[in-house]
Amino acid sequence: MILQAIAFYLFAGVTVASAVMVVFARNPVHSVLFLILAFFNAAGLFVLLGAEFIAMILVIVYVGAVAVLFLFVVMMLNIDFKAMREGFVSNAPIGVIIGFILIVELLLLVGGWTIQAPAIGAIATPIPPINEVTNTEALGHVLYTKYIYLFQAAGMILLLAMVGAIVLTHRTRPGIKRQVIADQIAKGHMDTVSVQKVPSRSGV
Amino acid sequence: MLYQDALRLLPELFLAGSIIVLLMYGVFSGDSKTRSVVILSFATIVAAAVLVWRMPGGEGVAFAEQFQSDTFTRYAKILVLIGAGSCMIMSMRYIERANMARFEFPILFLFATLGMMMMISANDLMSLYMGLELQSLALYVVAAFRRDTLRSTEAGLKYFVLGALSSGMLLYGISLVYGFVGTTGFDQLNQVIAGLRGEGQPLPVGLVIGLVFVAAGLAFKVSAVPFHMWTPDVYEGAPTIVTAFFATAPKIAALALFVRVMSEPFAALTDQWQQILVFVALASMILGAFAALSQSNIKRLMAYSSIGHVGYALVGLAAGTQTGVEAVLVYMAIYLIMNIGTFACILCMRREGRMVEAISDLAGLSKSQPMMALALCIFMFSMAGIPPLLGFWGKWYVFAAALDAGLTWLVIIGVLASVVGAFYYIRIIKIMYFDEAAEPFDKDTGAETGFVIGLSAIAVVGLFVFLAPLENAAKLAASAVFGG
Amino acid sequence: MQELIMTYGIPLAIIVAKILAIMLPLTITVAFYTYAERKVIAAAQMRRGPNVVGPFGLLQPIADAVKLLFKETILPSKANIIVFLFAPILTFTLAMVAWAVIPVNEGWVIADINVGILYLFAISSLGVYGVIMSGWASNSKYPFLGALRSAAQMVSYEVSMGFVIVTVIICVGSFNLTDIVLAQKSVWFCIPLLPMFVVFFISALAETNRTPFDLPEGESELVGGYFTEYSSMTFALFFLGEYANMLLMCAMTTLLFLGGWLPPLDIAPFNWVPGIVWFLLKVGFLAFVFLWVRATLPRYRYDQLMRLGWKVFLPLSLFWVVATAGFLVYFDMVPNAG
Repeated sequence: MILQAIAFYLFAGVTVASAVMVVFARNPVHSVLFLILAFFNAAGLFVLLGAEFIAMILVIVYVGAVAVLFLFVVMMLNIDFKAMREGFVSNAPIGVIIGFILIVELLLLVGGWTIQAPAIGAIATPIPPINEVTNTEALGHVLYTKYIYLFQAAGMILLLAMVGAIVLTHRTRPGIKRQVIADQIAKGHMDTVSVQKVPSRSGV
Repeated sequence: MLYQDALRLLPELFLAGSIIVLLMYGVFSGDSKTRSVVILSFATIVAAAVLVWRMPGGEGVAFAEQFQSDTFTRYAKILVLIGAGSCMIMSMRYIERANMARFEFPILFLFATLGMMMMISANDLMSLYMGLELQSLALYVVAAFRRDTLRSTEAGLKYFVLGALSSGMLLYGISLVYGFVGTTGFDQLNQVIAGLRGEGQPLPVGLVIGLVFVAAGLAFKVSAVPFHMWTPDVYEGAPTIVTAFFATAPKIAALALFVRVMSEPFAALTDQWQQILVFVALASMILGAFAALSQSNIKRLMAYSSIGHVGYALVGLAAGTQTGVEAVLVYMAIYLIMNIGTFACILCMRREGRMVEAISDLAGLSKSQPMMALALCIFMFSMAGIPPLLGFWGKWYVFAAALDAGLTWLVIIGVLASVVGAFYYIRIIKIMYFDEAAEPFDKDTGAETGFVIGLSAIAVVGLFVFLAPLENAAKLAASAVFGG
Repeated sequence: MQELIMTYGIPLAIIVAKILAIMLPLTITVAFYTYAERKVIAAAQMRRGPNVVGPFGLLQPIADAVKLLFKETILPSKANIIVFLFAPILTFTLAMVAWAVIPVNEGWVIADINVGILYLFAISSLGVYGVIMSGWASNSKYPFLGALRSAAQMVSYEVSMGFVIVTVIICVGSFNLTDIVLAQKSVWFCIPLLPMFVVFFISALAETNRTPFDLPEGESELVGGYFTEYSSMTFALFFLGEYANMLLMCAMTTLLFLGGWLPPLDIAPFNWVPGIVWFLLKVGFLAFVFLWVRATLPRYRYDQLMRLGWKVFLPLSLFWVVATAGFLVYFDMVPNAG
């Protein structure tokens, strides 16, 4: 038990600390690296919850792919943070007020948190016992049966996102030589070399 | 079970399948085949409309109550498909002339249409959000479709940033509702909330806050005041055919969704949301009327006009009664017809191959193109609400429903706003008929656009004869919301 | 106190012992793998390779290690020191940490977790950070270019690797590596899933930045790529990390496709041999193929590399996922159905 507690406070502490550093780091690349650290520790928290599948997916998708692209963009853009920080002081009070309101709202909500009695029976699918079914399997059982409609809808949205990104950014640049491997392979000596009869004393 | 579910989803499944097939066809045959992709997309929409009309799966819910199909969804989906179909067929020549003939364009329209159908049929806050996001994402892309022009990309970016913000609000509201009720299904929400009210318990505060956020998110999608800021800029910047699309199909879908969400899962909270809607309707009507007065760009004018119309439609919803919903549905149909016709006319405003958008460019249209001038004149009179044209009847139904519900002063202000609004609609007629003639527009607009103009003009003039069937259909649709 | 030792001390000691039992042989193997590489390439090029230090040059890796240890660690003046130093540590740590879930024989594994293969995949996808961080922190052109190339390459090939893993998983019905090996009792997956085996192995080459996909290092264009600025121990950590990763990829391929510790045929002479020997033989063979490929093939051009990843492997692996799933469902052979 004590080990779990230590692990929890370690992961949670590092998550929060690195989240704070994301905001306060002077160098944008450092911010992104802290963000990655935060993701990673969040994955650790998921493992503690016994949701190992989500933990691994978090690492693979967010840390391994999304954050890499993010880091790429930040590294390449060379954002001028001095310019972005201009007006920070003058805008700070507004930010503080909004943050304060959000915190009050959250406290209010958490304070009044109730799940209405009639709805308890309706709350999703009960979680199967953890030592009978792994949580990957449990997830699969609802994702591909009960929520198949949402799953497929999400698929359509992703397809659309791909189409949209290509429409808005893809340009076919003229004047580029493209390698056609099939042509290269299909080419034989007959296409490139021809044997010609050279009449003597006249040349080709 | 699965078969029955799939049968209920058939129109959407058909549309999704066609999108994928057309996408493959487009990718492999290239942009030179854009025209055939447009025609096939149009055929897809027609076929989907037939499927919606026939309702092969019958009424009921499907896929773990995520999806529903009934007379209401049928009514709204048919309207959406009419809007999408007209824009699709008008886009055929437009995108070629505007140098944006890429096969993705009609496919993005289809994506948006699919999203709209999914949101109309949503029976759960989760599927609602999925449909909404599918629709919005497609619209962001088409708004920025002419990516080399500053205005179009700006429109796309503005729409995207503000749209994402509104989606965030909606989602926040949904999460609050879920947190305080414990379910996202419409039917269960309805039962639980009604149960709470029945027992006279105090409402959880988070639920009401959630409701406000949901209403704000939806108000953004229908571009009602105070969430209208994006509308004029996006309407002006986007390519005209896209603006025409924005003003018709997505509006209808979002309004239908608004009606459904407010009067089904939150039916028991009518007293809570009614005040919000009264304010929103009021503000939209007034702003739509006054802000449009000073516009010189016809697309901006139409943006404010659509804000105003949404205000009138929401008056019906604010009534919170079955007749109110019925009136909204009738209003939606009439709004659709008028807007398609008007935008078809705007699409014809081209000089020497370039689009012109200033209202003053319409000067003397009655001499150069009398038929088009007549049609536009009819649409403008109808939008202004001059009897016996269709527009008048739409307002009449809405105001009658609001009067029944005792919102007298809302109706009075609405009538005053429509008087102010009439001024700028009639100004366009004055410019067309009495101003010095400008150069004539290009005449090679193509048969489809002319056909759309003609058909909608005839509908606007003559359809009041058929108001009774429309009203019956709306009644049937509204009863699905209130009956079940 | 007694209790504390019983509940925490002894399990801790066991875990540490297990870790050492994997780590020590692994580090030595990695060191000698560098020696093997030089010998194999030398043989392919009809040279002798290292033959001065010790018999047959066997002590060469030790000499190299000593040399690297005693060199000065050079920190470029414009480098971002913390990130610069952290990058090699990260690379090496990740390469070691992944071995925690590799079963070398039935039950011989430090952590037999449910999602073993996902864990491996996650760790290998983290490897890209060592590369990007070193390239960026060096504050120098060549490392940065190398890092960009490498990151793009690793992310691209991860996609098809992911699909290959999915194909295997749907044949097994579990993410557990032991289950994956045991599912190959009747036939190794490299036979029914031969194309996936090939895709996986080639992607593994790309994932570890090996020839013919070694553009990130490309000596002749980038002076050595992302670790141009590194010297001494920091360089040694990169070096060890890279070779440990290669061995890890070989082990992964063995577990997924070559039946792990299982003998080729479950009959008399074969199943006398202990499982670990089979495992080592298979890993050794694949490790040899890595070197063989390096000695044989020229480097790919960047566009060719991307084309192979996105236009060939991705559609192919995607098709195989669907085809395999369809096959299993049609013939009612889905594992763990119910």
